[in-house]
Order: sequence, then C-alpha cells, then structure tokens
Amino acid sequence: MTYLFDPDNWEWLITANNARFILEGFLVNLQIAVIAMVFSLAVGLALALARVSRMPWLRVAGGAWVDLWRNLPLIFIILYLALALPERWRDAYEDAAPEFLPDVLQTGRVFAALLALVLYNSAVIAEIMRAGILSLDRGQGEAAAALGFTPWQRMRLVILPQGLRRMVPATVSQLITLNKDTTLVSIIAIQEVMRHGRIVTGFNFFGGVQAPVLQVFVFIGLLFVATNLALSRLSRRLEIREQRRTGTTLKPVSGLEDQVTTAQAR
Amino acid sequence: MGALFEVLTENFDQLARGFWVTLRLVGASFAIALVVGTVVAALRIAPSAWLRRLGGVYVETFRNIPLLVLLFISFAGLRRAGVPISNWTAGIGSLGLYTAAYVAEVLRSGVFAVSKGQVEAALSLGFSHNETLRRIVLPQAFRTVIAPLGSITIAMIKNSAIVGVSLLALPDLLKEARIVQSRTFETDETFFWAAVGYLLITAAATIAFRALERRFAIRR
Repeated sequence: MTYLFDPDNWEWLITANNARFILEGFLVNLQIAVIAMVFSLAVGLALALARVSRMPWLRVAGGAWVDLWRNLPLIFIILYLALALPERWRDAYEDAAPEFLPDVLQTGRVFAALLALVLYNSAVIAEIMRAGILSLDRGQGEAAAALGFTPWQRMRLVILPQGLRRMVPATVSQLITLNKDTTLVSIIAIQEVMRHGRIVTGFNFFGGVQAPVLQVFVFIGLLFVATNLALSRLSRRLEIREQRRTGTTLKPVSGLEDQVTTAQAR
Repeated sequence: MGALFEVLTENFDQLARGFWVTLRLVGASFAIALVVGTVVAALRIAPSAWLRRLGGVYVETFRNIPLLVLLFISFAGLRRAGVPISNWTAGIGSLGLYTAAYVAEVLRSGVFAVSKGQVEAALSLGFSHNETLRRIVLPQAFRTVIAPLGSITIAMIKNSAIVGVSLLALPDLLKEARIVQSRTFETDETFFWAAVGYLLITAAATIAFRALERRFAIRR
C-alpha cells in the first residue's frame, strides 16, 4: 500500500509527456469503441429483426449467426480475423478509411479489430433487442394490425419504440463491456492505451524516469472506471427522463437493505 | 477436409493440454468468484453503511475495469513491485475477482426477491443478522439467480481466453492453438478446433446450469 501511494512512484505522471502519451492512447480506445458501438447497434437491430421475422429461413439463419458469434471468446475472434483476413480486405479498408480518422485507425489491422468487435457485440445486442421486442404484450402488435398498420409500420411505430426503451439498461451495460474490450486489440499490435502503457514503463522513456508498471496500469484502469461510470450514470438519467416523459414507471424493487437496517435499529 | 482432421490428430496432445489448462483455470476462477461474490453481496446489504459502501466500491471498480488491465496490474505490476506472484495466481485471481463483481450484483438482486416476511420472521425468531443471511436469505437468493449465474459463468469461460494470450503466457487452449497455428500455418483448421473446444465447455456449462435450474430454481 505504501508502495502504491508513494509520491516517488507517481512522479512519472507529471514528468515529460507521460500522462499525455497515455491519454492519447486512451483516446484511440474511445474512438474504436464509438465506431464499434455505432455499427454494433445498427447490425444488432438488423439481426434482431431477422430473428423475429415472419420468414422462417431468415429466423433460422439469423439465429445460427447470432449464436455462433455470441458464444466464441471475443479475443479468439480478434486473433482469428487478424491472422485470417485476406490481404485484399485490409487494403480495401486502408483505401476506404475516411481521412479525418487518426492515422492509427487507418491501418489495415484496425479493420480486423473493428470487424471482430462488431461481429461479437452485434450478436450480443441482437439478443438483447430481441428480448426487448418479445417482452411486449402480444396485444400491442395485434391492436396495431387491427388498426390497419402494415407489418413494417407495426414494427417501426408501435413495437420498436416500446421494446427498445426496455432494453436500454442491458444495452448500456453491453456498451460498457465493449468499451473495456477495446483493450484487447492491443494483442494484435494496435497502438492504443495498453501499448502506450507498456512503452511508458519501458526503460529510458521520456525524461529518463522509468514509470512503475503497477501505478501506470492502475492509472489506466481508473480512466476506464471513470468513463464507464459516466456512461452508466448517463443511461440512468436517460431512463428517468424517459419515464417522466412517457409517464411509465418501473416497478420499484422492495429492498432487504432498509428492512435489515431498521430491524437492527430497533 | 483432409487437412482439418490432420491438424487435430497431429497436434492433439498439445491442444488437449491447452483444453485441460483452460478447464482448470475456469474451475478455480469460478470457485473464487462464487466465494468472493457472496461475501461482497453480503457486504452490499450489511447493516453498516460503511460496509455497504465498501461492497459498492468493489463492484463498481471490478465491473468497470478491463480484465486485461487487471492482469497487467496483478502480474507485471505486482512483480515489478517485488511481489513474487506466479502467472497462475495472477490469472486465476484476476479472472475470479473480476467475475466476483458480477456474481455479487446478481446475488444482490436475488436477495431483493426474497420476501420481506421471511426476514421479519427469522429476525423475530431471534436469528441474528448473519444467521438470517446465511440460513434464510442467501440459500433462496442463490436459487432465484441460477439462470443469470449461468450466463455469468459462460462469459467467464470466454474471458478465460484473455488470460492465456496476455502477458501471463498461461498455456491455455487459445495460447496452444496460437502456437500450433504459428508452426503449421493452418489458421482456419487450428482455430476451428479451438472454437470447438470453447463451444464444448460453454455447452457443458449451459447444460449443467439448466439441470441445476430444473432441480433447484425458485420461480418468481
């Protein structure tokens, strides 16, 4: 404990550009996370719709696809794609990557990482969305059909707005997982925060101060904890606002917490 | 197709060794996750506000930190600090403590599902807080959360693959597959068998938890 908090061991943080270098790496993680999130949500919705479609072959194909990617370890998918993706695809990505992206994200390796993150997370999100859609009362869809809505209108105007609202907490916790999982791309040598952390802890880096490994990675861990806490705080606020706006309230949980304390106080 | 089976038969011993390492890693981490998770869940519903806060900090920290960062802290970090921790201890410890946060959260929700009357009855019969928790609340809480515990376990099995390819170099299934791949260059075939290995473990866990659910689950 004294070692952890010894000011000498935190000197690296204010020496030279160490802190800035770590934060730059962390920014790469955040960018990867945002890109993967956007695509995962879009693909996940498409997969969820396929899984509740009225066409049996589409349901079966969607189900098999989702079950395959959801049940493999993400790190396995990342490694496999990094080794197995054809050169042509990576070149195509390098050509197609928009100019405004930072250089790190324009390399072909990033394509394997992004593809793996999207394949895995879209499958997980599809399951969450499907559960949200199926959790609705059957009567909702039937009433819409009786009012003359086409199946597509029914989905878009009645079922999705309600179903998606129910899945917000589960989706946010998956997005937090995704944010954490961006560290895994360091395994395929993408220069993000874990790699930067290792560089900083190497010998003879900026300012000649060798940063202690423990403190550097505790610092990186805290960066993730802070962003993820902010993310879940944001989702809770969103939930409360939505509840107020739509006038629906979740059933409050009857807690043991207060019971036991009052019993003890008595 | 020929190459597919050739890769398996020629490297069977190595892949089987990795499979066995993954199984042990998962088993040991699961035990730690259950024990620590139960303790943390108990902290989160403790009568003392301080203990509750301690449990909350544990859950929020370990749930929001990437497992890979945890592995770096517990292995490279502690070693550089002079603690002679082995790669097994660091791997099992990190995976176990990380999963424990999820177990604690799920258990806490299970505790809330136990009806108030039961707690009041136990307390009025003269049970202490700890006795009530241990003999009345937790056993029922476990039985209500078997299904979510199952999905946490499956996530843990998948997360175990991170331990092997990280700096710890534990020779688990993915690590061994990686070694076989770099020797034979049969990427598709090697990864296919590694996938089969992981799917076997997750399928076994799914079946086991379903059986537990049928036998013990309390439906609410």
